[in-house]
Amino acid sequence: MLKMQNIRKSYRTDTIETHALRDFSLEVNEGEFVSVTGPSGSGKTTFLNIAGLLETPTGGQYLLDGQEVGNLSDSERSRLRNEKIGFIFQGFNLIPDLNLFDNIDVPLRYRGFNAKERRRRIERSLEQVGLSARAKHLPAQLSGGQQQRVAIARALAGEPRFLLADEPTGNLDSLMARQVMELLEFINEWGTTIVMVTHDPELARRAQRNIQIVDGQVSDLRQTIAQPEVAIA
Amino acid sequence: MIGYYISLAMRSLRGTPILSALMIAAIAVGVGASMTVLTLNYMMSQNALEHKDSVLYAVQLDSWDPNQAADTTNEIPWQLTYPDATALLRSDIPTRQVAMHRFGFTVNLDESELRPFTANTRVTTRDFFSLFDVPFEYGGTWSKEADTAAVQSVVLSKETNEKLFGGENSVGKIVKLNGEPFTVIGVLKHWNPSPKIYDLNNNPFADSEELYIPFGLHRKFGIYSWGNTNGWTSRTAEGAEGYERFLLGEHVWIQYWVELDNAEQREAYEQFLTGHIHQQKEQGRFERPLKFALSAPSEWLVLNEVLENDNRVLGWASLAFLLVCVINAVALLLAKFLRKAPEAGVRRALGASRNAIFTQHLIESSCIGVLGGLFGIVLALAGLTGIRVLAMGQADQIAAMNWEMMLAAVGLAILASILAGLYPAWRISRTNPSVYLKTQ
Ligand SMILES: Nc1ncnc2c1ncn2[C@@H]1O[C@H](COP(=O)(O)OP(=O)(O)OP(=O)(O)O)[C@@H](O)[C@H]1O
Ligand SMILES: [Mg+2]
Repeated sequence: MLKMQNIRKSYRTDTIETHALRDFSLEVNEGEFVSVTGPSGSGKTTFLNIAGLLETPTGGQYLLDGQEVGNLSDSERSRLRNEKIGFIFQGFNLIPDLNLFDNIDVPLRYRGFNAKERRRRIERSLEQVGLSARAKHLPAQLSGGQQQRVAIARALAGEPRFLLADEPTGNLDSLMARQVMELLEFINEWGTTIVMVTHDPELARRAQRNIQIVDGQVSDLRQTIAQPEVAIA
Repeated sequence: MIGYYISLAMRSLRGTPILSALMIAAIAVGVGASMTVLTLNYMMSQNALEHKDSVLYAVQLDSWDPNQAADTTNEIPWQLTYPDATALLRSDIPTRQVAMHRFGFTVNLDESELRPFTANTRVTTRDFFSLFDVPFEYGGTWSKEADTAAVQSVVLSKETNEKLFGGENSVGKIVKLNGEPFTVIGVLKHWNPSPKIYDLNNNPFADSEELYIPFGLHRKFGIYSWGNTNGWTSRTAEGAEGYERFLLGEHVWIQYWVELDNAEQREAYEQFLTGHIHQQKEQGRFERPLKFALSAPSEWLVLNEVLENDNRVLGWASLAFLLVCVINAVALLLAKFLRKAPEAGVRRALGASRNAIFTQHLIESSCIGVLGGLFGIVLALAGLTGIRVLAMGQADQIAAMNWEMMLAAVGLAILASILAGLYPAWRISRTNPSVYLKTQ
């Protein structure tokens, strides 16, 4: 599904060069639910952004679904992102002046579906997250947990094979966090591959596999789970 | 997708009503100001006789003061003397030719309630109508004899015929001009070219004449010119007295046009003019070096400086003003777009390409352009109305917008807003989406 080899990413500002990822190698298989933990600033978000084709690595090789994506143009990358990848963010990132229906409509528009197909998918994904009755509401009229469920519905509407979640429960209380987690697990059971960054060791443990990123590199697994202080950041 | 972008644009404009209003106003004011000036310039540069540019010529002869050239752009008097005009009329080289000038009559009808009124009149030879494409509703022009003999015939403009006869076919009816009976032999359709190429000498933007009478009536009615009459010497028409002294004198007041259909004809006519000037030199006239000019309608408009240099400068100034407005709009758009950058970041994450983001924002600025253009037309119409009022009827023809100019206004506004939107749209489409996705 996802295969990264020796990925490097550095950010250059006027004086300093930050190595967000270095010699980063990772393989995620079809249908897996992988959690990613690590201290703040270790490169977790950078990894997700590269995996989701939002950023290009400085070096290394990235195969998505067996396809080398390093040399693709922006529009090809955007199409892949639209068709194969769903994003969920800590801040929900719903578009504030669009109602739920129109928010979920956004990726489907870029996909080029006709109006009927879009409506079908929007209604179905709202149903999946249990918010069918709120289709005409604006994001601000929902609770944080509900907003995150809309964001998940939006990520799922295009039926991506690959869901990337960056601290999806970071802004939620534990009850809501558990609901979101259950939703993600349900989605994973239906076949969607999920990579989720989290600071919550309990949630991290619920995934099939946990990887820890330290200083821009994948560190040893078992050791990671044993270290409780990771969750503090 | 365009429809989607337009609906996003309208939503976005409604979302920030004050900022949107400012941007629309910036474009509207710029477009309104430049369209006011450009409309004037455009209307002033019209050439209703462009299709006759290769056959129709205004004739100028240099009969002026041997010590000082005439004060015109080509240093030849605009008009001819009566003796020269009548001499030229005797040539049978041109296919058609017209000698003419402005005049005025008091018009009344016998047994009519209508109060007598003064009518602008063109005194002309019979070819005037065919030479300048003047369309007839009823009847036609007078016979050849009337160009030299006193025949009291008159052609009415459509408007005059409506005033006098309620618009019906009045051919054969009698009109009193300065109390003398004239027979109506023709009625024109509406005809009012602007600028009035055939007579740029007397306000090129005035309305066409209300009456047309034959050229053979000068002596019978003692017809002077109501247009410009210019002379340079008091030593004039020696031996003649009274009206003859005016008629035969050394001053210019007759406008002269010829139709020459091909190069041979034109060459023959140039030879004829050369011959005429030589002949006159022998009689002590035309003391300046031999000089004459045949100018096609488009050349005639330039020579007469119908579109004055000031207007040209004003045209450029108005475009510079539009540019300032566009720069303002750029700043406002940049502020607006960058404030919406997080949304663009989300759209990128959901599969929008850079091009899609660029197009979406360019369409948003085009929507501002369309709205700015529509308001700009309103402003330009207001500006032109103001000019018409200030000019008190002298600019009714030129200070008017046709639908082509309105289209041009919207086009200009869209162009301006696309120019204004290019950089902001490019900026937002290039920003790294991940920057906006981390925090919210
Ligand atoms: N756009 C950028 N420009 C410069 N440096 C950056 C940029 N994005 C990230 N970095 C740097 O790269 C490193 C990794 O950042 P990243 O956001 O991936 O960390 P993270 O593991 O997601 O941290 P957190 O848990 O706090 O979200 C950090 O040192 C950060 O300062
Ligand atoms: Mg992060």
